[in-house]
Amino acid sequence: MQALTLANAPKQLAKFQSLIALFFLCLVISLLSDKFLTVANGWNVLRQISVNICISTGMTLVVLTAGIDLSVGSVLALCGAVTAGLLKNGIELPSANLFIGFTVFGSIISGIVLGTLLGWFNGFTITRFKVPPFVATLAVLTIARGLTMLWTKGFPISGLGSNFAYVGTGWLLGIPVPVWISAVIVLLAHMLTRKTPLGRYIYAIGGNESAARLSGIRINRVKMSVYAIAGALAAIGGIIVTSRLDSAQPNAGITYELDAIAAVVIGGTSLSGGRGSILGTVLGAIIIGVLNNGLVLLNVSPFWQQVVKGLVILVAVIIDKANSKE
Amino acid sequence: MKKTLKYILGLAALVFVAYNSVYFKKLDAVRASAHKQFDASAYARKYYDTRLKPALKNAVEINQLLALARVDKEAAFNRHSHALGIGNIRYFLVQGTGEITGINENDVAVISKNDSTQSALKIATEFVFGNAIRDASGLINLNEFSSTADFNNVSAEVNKIVRNEVLPAFKSTAKKGDRVHFVGAIELNRQHLKLDDLEIIPVALNLIKDK
Repeated sequence: MQALTLANAPKQLAKFQSLIALFFLCLVISLLSDKFLTVANGWNVLRQISVNICISTGMTLVVLTAGIDLSVGSVLALCGAVTAGLLKNGIELPSANLFIGFTVFGSIISGIVLGTLLGWFNGFTITRFKVPPFVATLAVLTIARGLTMLWTKGFPISGLGSNFAYVGTGWLLGIPVPVWISAVIVLLAHMLTRKTPLGRYIYAIGGNESAARLSGIRINRVKMSVYAIAGALAAIGGIIVTSRLDSAQPNAGITYELDAIAAVVIGGTSLSGGRGSILGTVLGAIIIGVLNNGLVLLNVSPFWQQVVKGLVILVAVIIDKANSKE
Repeated sequence: MKKTLKYILGLAALVFVAYNSVYFKKLDAVRASAHKQFDASAYARKYYDTRLKPALKNAVEINQLLALARVDKEAAFNRHSHALGIGNIRYFLVQGTGEITGINENDVAVISKNDSTQSALKIATEFVFGNAIRDASGLINLNEFSSTADFNNVSAEVNKIVRNEVLPAFKSTAKKGDRVHFVGAIELNRQHLKLDDLEIIPVALNLIKDK
């Protein structure tokens, strides 16, 4: 590790910019609100950001390949709704006089499989038909939202039972279950990016796709895998949201993709790919979560909250650009 | 050999997941044991006749409520409001007597006064929608319903009763200068309290013949 000297101090500090930003954010909010630095509020923030961590972890993998996935919010809603629908209503096959019921485990697995398939479909259209990721995932955003409305008929699906509610509201060893889920996801994704060939391929593709192709990396397969993982993680986010609310809302997850992208960018992952980390994204998600929580505690108008969040993202992108030039 | 073992393990995992994921039943049996379809119309009728109507006499007098809200907002909300959620929007079941000062396309303007306060109000006569009537009484609990759709349908049906049974008679006879006794629901925002130009969603409207 390079020693901290006066000459390289700015460069060294830049590595910890997200952490420094989080520290000052916490400091300012705790000075302005006595409710911020409490254990209950800490758990509250962690529970709230666990969904964004799930989505933004997948988004990080996508962005590292120089892609983008705008469909995660809609995929979240659809997978949450399908999970809830299967759990509550099962599937009826009148021609065979058969009712297929789903256990909590079965409905969750079905939701995750659906998310994976939708993510894979994103990757397929991007790699096979060379559709720009922005456009391909925008299309799936619309398709998934429409399918959610069709599946739910525009109404929430509620009353999903206490076993399912445990996923989003339960506690395990003194820690909320959604926090455990997001922690496991982060750990696995961190290991994937740092310790596996797939992780190295992801960075290689984002850094220089042509060079990666020439070095024998199967670009399409890696990209499809990455989008499939992002879809699966969005589905897990959807299951947590549905479980927390004990209700699948047809309009769930709207603008969640923007929060995920914000967490990725604030966490230092370059939108042009090849540079960034899962842990940085977690930090970004915490910053967004703390910012949201702080603005609510300080009684800031929801309209101003959006303005502030937008400005924070803008500053993060400008810093990212400045770092890229260096 | 290694590949075969991989396939066997994969298949075993798949069977395990499938076995723990789904169960099968005869559709006839499931349908027979399922709850009867919720009849929102019948529920609303019963609620309106047997629970809401008797509760109307307990509605707070509107000028009294507004006077209290002006001096002690929290007390007014805590004593007289109801709502399902934890938000700032809350509903009040109010009553009062007033003089009709105008008949408009969508509402009737009324001046209501008691000993100390005078309020200019609007009674909705065209657009009776939303959950104000259902929620203002605080008599219906969400947990009585198996789905929010059923719960919302009750609201729609109660509103329909008011539109079909309360408003036509009132609209056909009410004229400027008449006195009316009204009971209805109003919506107030605890955070951004606005006490002027209130609109009442009516539940009962009776013209007072003798001035």
